[in-house]
Amino acid sequence: MKKSRLIAASVAMIATTGLLLSGCSAGAADTGEKQLTFMFRGGEDEKAAYTTAIKAFEKANDVKVKIISTTADDYATKLKAAIAGKQIPDVFYIAQGDIQAYVNNGVVLDITEYVEGSDTLDLDNIWEYGVDSYRFDGSLVGEGAIYALPKDVGPFSFGYNKSMFEAAGIPLPDVDTPLTLQEFVDISKQLTVDLNGDGELDQWGTGLNVQWSLQSFAWSNGADFLNKDRTKVTVDTPEFAEALQWFADLSNVEGITPSTSQAQTLDTYQRWMSGQIAFFPVGPWDVSTYAELDFDWDLIPYPAGKTGESATWVGSLGIAVGSTTEDPELSAKLVEYLSADVTAQQTLVDAGVQIPNLKDMADTWVADSTTKPANKQEFLDIVNGYGRALPANNTYNAEWYDELFTNIQPVLDGTQTAADYLKEAQPKMQAFLDDANLQAGIG
Amino acid sequence: MSTTVLRTKPRRSRLHRREQQIALLFIAIPLIGFLLFTLYPLLYSVYASFTSWNGLAAPKFNGLDNYIKMWNDPYFLKSMWNTLFLMIGIPIGLVLSMALALGLNRKMRGITFFRTVYYVPVISSIAAIAIMWQWAYNGDFGLVNQVLDLVGIQGPNWLADKDTVKPALIIMATWKGLGYSMLLYLAALQSVPRYLYEAAALDGAGTWQQFRNITLPMVRPVTFFLVVTSIIGGSQIFIEINIMTPLGGPEFSSASIVWYIWRQAFNNLHMGYASAMSIVLGLIIFIVTVIQFRLNRRNQFSID
Repeated sequence: MKKSRLIAASVAMIATTGLLLSGCSAGAADTGEKQLTFMFRGGEDEKAAYTTAIKAFEKANDVKVKIISTTADDYATKLKAAIAGKQIPDVFYIAQGDIQAYVNNGVVLDITEYVEGSDTLDLDNIWEYGVDSYRFDGSLVGEGAIYALPKDVGPFSFGYNKSMFEAAGIPLPDVDTPLTLQEFVDISKQLTVDLNGDGELDQWGTGLNVQWSLQSFAWSNGADFLNKDRTKVTVDTPEFAEALQWFADLSNVEGITPSTSQAQTLDTYQRWMSGQIAFFPVGPWDVSTYAELDFDWDLIPYPAGKTGESATWVGSLGIAVGSTTEDPELSAKLVEYLSADVTAQQTLVDAGVQIPNLKDMADTWVADSTTKPANKQEFLDIVNGYGRALPANNTYNAEWYDELFTNIQPVLDGTQTAADYLKEAQPKMQAFLDDANLQAGIG
Repeated sequence: MSTTVLRTKPRRSRLHRREQQIALLFIAIPLIGFLLFTLYPLLYSVYASFTSWNGLAAPKFNGLDNYIKMWNDPYFLKSMWNTLFLMIGIPIGLVLSMALALGLNRKMRGITFFRTVYYVPVISSIAAIAIMWQWAYNGDFGLVNQVLDLVGIQGPNWLADKDTVKPALIIMATWKGLGYSMLLYLAALQSVPRYLYEAAALDGAGTWQQFRNITLPMVRPVTFFLVVTSIIGGSQIFIEINIMTPLGGPEFSSASIVWYIWRQAFNNLHMGYASAMSIVLGLIIFIVTVIQFRLNRRNQFSID
């Protein structure tokens, strides 16, 4: 009797499992039509732009595209869950910093042969930086086979409040020659004032976030985060310490940033937008918001340290093909449409959320004097010239890089010198980097 | 269980058997759900905790490496400590919500209004609340510091200072949880029999004595329930931390253990290590809860 109960229970369980499973797979049932999945994150502008690009793609190739869209915060978690569950989407966004790990673990497909021989896309017409960010030769990112095409490239440029300069009678900074660090501090000091005479400052030279702006000053001072083959953390050099100290001194010694104890983006960002800050970073994603500001602003090269040459970073997001796709060629074609379709690119550029991926389109965009900023060329100069990848984007993971910022607050508060701090941080960062390189099987 | 089966055995009809099978079918649905979506992932994460796994490729067995690494990981210990520290808010919250419940247990005008007001944070989205408090805590023009400024106190830069970020989070969490505990206390207070107070008053007990000797013991089950659930919930604090201090706060001072686990798993490709940490966290929660139940059983009494 007991046995039969057991059997009944097992049968019941199997039956329900069958029900559950068939319920699950019903959604993916083959309807005879080819279907690709595309997973991405983004705002309304991206959705609108991609809907047109995907329609065109569906029509031209007689295929259906299933779009999976997530919020920006959820994307990494959901994608990793999909990968762990062996449900890699056919086409999906890939973070620049993930390329090495994803290639090493066979998650993304080498699409070199498709994009190089493509008739819908001219690879030479896309920014080298954008394509090279997704090349990987097994040990170094930036060289070798192509694993993704750029969704966008995001040059992190530097802006200034033109109206404020004019009101103060200060000559406008040159758009071609970068300011020296000293000039930058001097101008900032002149613009850090108490306008309404209530005894409290209400206008400042600048207000930068260490996490997004330190790179620029370190690089232009001749320092770097890693050595060439990315095996050694090099933040303990005098050049690096000098740059970080200078950065901290902007608040603690020169007093040209709003509150001395912080570099929170939130309030300096708000203050910049309400016209109280003279110099502030500008990314392409900011342009649509900043275009509405009631003061005039423009782009200039980043102030340069010892080397005399500006430096800054360029972000990017890639679109890759999942390794388990049934139709690699078609998936690669979808990537091409998403990355380089003229109508889609125009929609995104018009929305003011990114610069064109296509060089020829960028040329007309730069020449257009009706839209802000006037010096759009600066964005292109960064992409084509002085922009670099964020340091952690070329390594297996970002743990070593995050470590630098975890304990940096005392330096910003002026209670620890940059040199001391960096000496402390370097061994810890090195340990994380060694671990990352070990996992990646290099170094 | 088995004894009842034996006893009912002779009286089993076919209909009875049929119904039993159908019942098993009904039981099977949640059971399979549990096995598939809870037990299997749980066992898998136990296995994963003994592997080197990046979440992309297949896990590779590496014995106790993750657990040894954990023991030597200053950030693991620090985030554990931070999580523990944030639990200071639990007793504070209990005292405040008790006081509130006592206050709102009286007859007065607009009582439902106040009850609603205190309950609003509970039903609001935690993400929205975290963003709102992030602004309120802004060192420069945040609401909190503006109010402090009115009484002549120069407020700190709450979230950017390693000494104030934890108190800031505690204040927020307490505020958010207040309504829920208050509501439970309120219900408990209203079920305390009136005759107990009358008898005590006749015996000459003052308000404080009544509170201490009648009210507190009578709401004890609620207190116990709140302590247990708050500790379990408190050990898993994540969303507010991730929103308010996305990098774990200045010098890692607001990173909670779940935040650190999440970061290791999804940002740093250390899924195996993250699994090991969550196993340890799970065990700690389990042990603490068992101890609490033991203590509670010892202190139980009834008045009949």
